[in-house]
Amino acid sequence: MNLDLNGKPVNVDDALVDPAMPLLWVLRDVLQLTGTKYGCGVAACGACTVWVDGAAVRSCVTPLSAVAGKAVRTIESLAAPDGALHPLQRAWIAHQVPQCGYCQSGLLMAAAALLAKNRNPSDAEIDASVTNLCRCGTTVRVREAIKTAARELRAESGTKPPAAGRATP
Amino acid sequence: MTTRRFLLGALAAGGALVVGWGLLPPRSRIGDRRVLPLVEGEVGLNGWIKVARDGSVRLAMPRAEMGQGVHTALAMLAAEELDVGLDQVTLIEAGPERLYGNLTSLATTMLAHPGEAGLGESSRAGRVGLWLLNKTARELGLQITGGSSSIADAWDVLPLAAATARAQLLGAASLAWKLPVTELAVERGTVRHPSGPSAHYGELAERAAATPPGDVKRKPRDAWKLVGTAAPRTDLRDKVTGRAVFGIDVRPEGLVFAAVRHSPMLGGDVARLDVDALLRRPGVERVVRLGSYAGSTPGFAVVARTTWHAMDAARRAAVQWLEPPAGHLDSATIESALEARARAAAADDAGFAFANRGDAIGALEQAARRVEALYRAPYLAHAAMEPMNCTAQVKDGRVTVWAPTQVPTAARALAARVAGVDVDRVTLHVPYLGGGFGRRLEVDVVGQTVRVALETGGRPVQLVWSREEDFTHDFYRPAGAALLRAGFAGDGTLSALHVVSAGDAITPRNAERTLPALAGPIDPPDKTAIEGLHQFPYAVPHLRVAHAATHSGVPVGYWRSVGHSHHAFFAESFVDELAHARGRDPVAFRLELLAGKPAHAAVLKLAAEKAGWGGPLAAGRARGVALHESYGSVVAMVVEAALDGGRPRALRVVCAADCGTVVNPGIVAQQVEGGVMYALAAALHGRITIERSEVQQKNYPDQPLLALRDAPRVELHLVPSTRAPGGVGEIAVPPLAPALANAIFALTGRRLRELPLRLA
Repeated sequence: MNLDLNGKPVNVDDALVDPAMPLLWVLRDVLQLTGTKYGCGVAACGACTVWVDGAAVRSCVTPLSAVAGKAVRTIESLAAPDGALHPLQRAWIAHQVPQCGYCQSGLLMAAAALLAKNRNPSDAEIDASVTNLCRCGTTVRVREAIKTAARELRAESGTKPPAAGRATP
Repeated sequence: MTTRRFLLGALAAGGALVVGWGLLPPRSRIGDRRVLPLVEGEVGLNGWIKVARDGSVRLAMPRAEMGQGVHTALAMLAAEELDVGLDQVTLIEAGPERLYGNLTSLATTMLAHPGEAGLGESSRAGRVGLWLLNKTARELGLQITGGSSSIADAWDVLPLAAATARAQLLGAASLAWKLPVTELAVERGTVRHPSGPSAHYGELAERAAATPPGDVKRKPRDAWKLVGTAAPRTDLRDKVTGRAVFGIDVRPEGLVFAAVRHSPMLGGDVARLDVDALLRRPGVERVVRLGSYAGSTPGFAVVARTTWHAMDAARRAAVQWLEPPAGHLDSATIESALEARARAAAADDAGFAFANRGDAIGALEQAARRVEALYRAPYLAHAAMEPMNCTAQVKDGRVTVWAPTQVPTAARALAARVAGVDVDRVTLHVPYLGGGFGRRLEVDVVGQTVRVALETGGRPVQLVWSREEDFTHDFYRPAGAALLRAGFAGDGTLSALHVVSAGDAITPRNAERTLPALAGPIDPPDKTAIEGLHQFPYAVPHLRVAHAATHSGVPVGYWRSVGHSHHAFFAESFVDELAHARGRDPVAFRLELLAGKPAHAAVLKLAAEKAGWGGPLAAGRARGVALHESYGSVVAMVVEAALDGGRPRALRVVCAADCGTVVNPGIVAQQVEGGVMYALAAALHGRITIERSEVQQKNYPDQPLLALRDAPRVELHLVPSTRAPGGVGEIAVPPLAPALANAIFALTGRRLRELPLRLA
């Protein structure tokens, strides 16, 4: 099976996987992309959040068959290929958000999906689209970090032609 | 009786031996340079510090990073004394050597925490006990990340190791240049003399290793440049890019994956398992029956091509279970028995008295007015986001283990025992922990994984528990009940307090599982079963605090802040009841009783002032306050609460803390926010129930954590302090529930005496 993964075509050996196998485990155990995390397996915690065609999805309940021909983006591609961090990643460091860090990939991917569509989200909009769980309680800082990144994205899109914006991770 | 048992027995008896604490100078823990393995160009200076060719520093790191920022904070201590940048310190895994043992963590089991006895005035019993534990810990070489102890434990040692290394490096420069040490300056690891000569540490290291350090002194506080600043954490770039490697992420060559299914009944076993059907499932290569490892419930493991193939097959397996031989566990029955036990022990004056002053029972009888209340707390799960997991390889008589663990020494010992090899044939790596909270003080999953690795033909295997297994086979925060009775004298002063709590002791159960060498034939009194109640800070002439220890059979473990987690709720809610019984303002009432506890009073005043205590509030809101000391630190909280669809909600949490010298206030703020959220989830939703030995809450939807929408505003105000660092990682958990419950009382007039806090 062929996947469009982080902007590159990737072939997954059909002998190794099953169409019903959740994307999460294909990423982690077959393709060795371990940045996406297993937390609950029932789409409750969001640690496994990735993008499928630009939408944040919970990869622990997304079967491999559902992403055929679609663009899958994981935390490993949130920064630019040259290593330049996404404004959200910079804001996460500026606000010193992560503690243990385990759920942060999912949080960042959920937040990035929101900002790709809405560069000036309200508190309510943030709360509604970023529903990830974090046992360390980093959620106390997440809203402000998202707003910092949103400000940066707005400033960026104000000074650069839209094509240079980071609408995709 | 072995020496170890004798030592712990002596501790349990209160530490009657009189021995000076100063007998064990930190200098002996700096260690020998030969313990650090060297790679090309590196020079070891002592057991903690090596210098690389480019002058950067390698620091041995024996503590696990589980979110609490310890890797950053310990590196800051070293960088400060060495005068290098934090970016010039690289961490290396510390080996199993005894010098890295954590002495302070064991103090959690002591009757009197040396730092708790009153912030500065440490009791003789505490010091003697600590000395004994020190000996014991050293003998065993226990490495533990827990008990909010890492910084306190390192405080006398790591800076001294770094200062000693610096003295040797400067001594080397002085000898080479024939210039006095006192005229040398260091910046970012480069030593300079005003007359011109300069060299970086890498150029001086070889000579430094042969240079005696002389009389080493730590930097004076006023010369600190890094310690005390909110330096950015060093682990965050990897944590925002997905590159950080947690236990579940290690991918050694040839890795196979495994899942476990335990008997759903705690303490049960497998009766019949259709192995052939399992082996026919796609991707499955092997099934391994699992007995009990370090307290785990028996079951079986499935080895497969991926974690999903293994979990899917394990979940679908046709299996019949054996009921637990000791009979069924039922949490409702256990909890009502605890309540009855607390009442009976209070009536009979039974239980072990951890605090006893005056004649509390006599004074209660003579009191002009009495207040009595029974408080209850349920079982709780840890539910760290990274489920329990471990990776192991057994090959050519050697064992390699990758374990996200808080107790590497115990993990290694169990791995050796299960593999049947000598402990020095086991190499242990500790990746990042996706949360610990005490769950990773247990080594059950390590034993299971090594057992499975014996069956995989030398290939490494990674065993990952499903979230359901993680919830249903935890070592739970014990349920507890306490009867609190207070008496006021005729003049209205608080004259007596009698507290009797009942619940399972954790330490003897944990020792049986994890440190069998320390387990004794009888349970010694366990301070964690009473902590948070027996060191009542408020002035009361007659005080008796006793604990009736039970042994329910439910697997119980250390849960962030342990006994404090529910005892603070009992004590601080009750104190609030006393204030209201006297018609007094809860802050003023507490302050009056804290005349002899200036540190506590200062923290409480600060929180009240910053929260605008007594000031106006929006309609439908109320404030509640709580004050609690744990792990050598004092925290006060004022919670502003409201009702949201009939359910309590915390909107603003103002915290004040005295946690001694602060290494990194940014990390303290993170830990306080995290502690508030951890405690808030428990206060609002936390309850594990067990029916016919089966835990009923199986995944996050059954036992919700809090999302963004539930997060209150959290503020932290620190009381400046120059005493040695207290704990930080757990201290914000205890006061949250009582402050919230007290706010709910102020809001609704209803006194909630049971966790979680429910109005309906």
